[in-house]
Amino acid sequence: MRKFMPASELARDERFSQITQRDRMADGRSTVVLNNDQNRRSNNRLTPQRGDASEAARALMHGIFVGEIQALEGAGRTCWDFTTGEEAPFALKLDMARQAWDEARHVEISCKLSDWMGAEIGQYAENTVLFEAACSDDPVLRLAGVNRALEGLAIDVFTTMKEFGEIAGDPYLEFCEDWMLADEVTHVKMGSDWLRKVTENDPERRKKALEFQNIVDKMFSYGGSRSESDESSLMIARRFRELAGFTDTEVDYIAEVSMQALNERKAQIAERQAAVASKN
Amino acid sequence: MAITVSPETFDFVSFDAAYIARIAQHVAEQLGVSDIDFAIEIDETSALNRIGTDTSGTPVQITVHSGAFEDKRRPRQQSEVDTTLSIARCMLRARDRVRGGFADAPAEKDLTLPQAAAWDTWIIARLARLDMPVNKQAWQYNWRNRHGFNDRADAAFERMWQAESMDWSQLCAASDAARSISA
Repeated sequence: MRKFMPASELARDERFSQITQRDRMADGRSTVVLNNDQNRRSNNRLTPQRGDASEAARALMHGIFVGEIQALEGAGRTCWDFTTGEEAPFALKLDMARQAWDEARHVEISCKLSDWMGAEIGQYAENTVLFEAACSDDPVLRLAGVNRALEGLAIDVFTTMKEFGEIAGDPYLEFCEDWMLADEVTHVKMGSDWLRKVTENDPERRKKALEFQNIVDKMFSYGGSRSESDESSLMIARRFRELAGFTDTEVDYIAEVSMQALNERKAQIAERQAAVASKN
Repeated sequence: MAITVSPETFDFVSFDAAYIARIAQHVAEQLGVSDIDFAIEIDETSALNRIGTDTSGTPVQITVHSGAFEDKRRPRQQSEVDTTLSIARCMLRARDRVRGGFADAPAEKDLTLPQAAAWDTWIIARLARLDMPVNKQAWQYNWRNRHGFNDRADAAFERMWQAESMDWSQLCAASDAARSISA
């Protein structure tokens, strides 16, 4: 069986349509709505109070569904791509196998929730950015990129969706997201623990891994869809991140990067809207 | 009837204004609103899936964020199905307001979320009867988000979906009744 498989070769049936992060970044449009009144901020947080809440929640649920598939593939690949003992400790691989089991269950849950919310498999494009972060040839970088950055984002997403279900009174959504959130906290904790353990005597490798994590975090913050501002649809779940082993400094960094991405996005939108207005 | 589409050319998405106008023309004939003038304005800088209808002047204004016309599997490409459905939703809402017993309905921005969801349900049910491809489960989920997740709210949805006729006061009464059950 092949080792180190690229994202372009992920197995999917004809229902799926894949895009890359490059495709996403080439899309100059935004899901952040600017308020024309400069003194007021728009509230774009994904809550049932949004007029387009059902559609937005459905699209996010499909994103969770394909994200879970890629997380399963990433964890499974980490078990296979590295030699036991030499490149990755057996216990680390055991944790990745356990994670693959969790992710498989999450795929099934997300699939059923999508059905419940009225979405079909493949209704939305699948961004392969999550698996792209799981393609590093160093297992420690994978732990940093996938278990800490990616699964950290999952904590933010699941917290947002759990609250959505709670406010809307959707018992299935609230319950399922709560259970998956608990698993995600465990996955991040695994990443945090292994990162510390494996790089205990190798500060250079640890530094490199944390730099990679920051790059992935920046990538996931692209477009400003996640931040501590209500202008972003997803919140940063500080409490659950803390439980997962993130330090306050790390969460502050993510919050800062996310806010920076949001402000950059807002400036871009204003510029583009002005260009369109002058054209018309 | 006059239908205008703006902008005429697109920079952010691969949409075709003439194609949108042709679809709108066809939908207008199907829905019996060929006597009404429409101006369709697309915000191509927004990827959101939002639409709006303003019947306060002439022509009737249809405002669309580009996500509402987009093929969700192929970002930035136009979807004929989504374009048709979004325009049909706006045109039916306009028809309801102009001559369908919804003259008393408040302006779009003043509709409550349950009222908007109930009206959408009534609109989509009629589009389904015209054999337009709608996902009933998606609209039921929207109804549940606004009226509650319980069997009685589901029964109220089913009655709305099957209704032969409806005016604004009947729609409000049905929506209020479904919500009071949930409360």
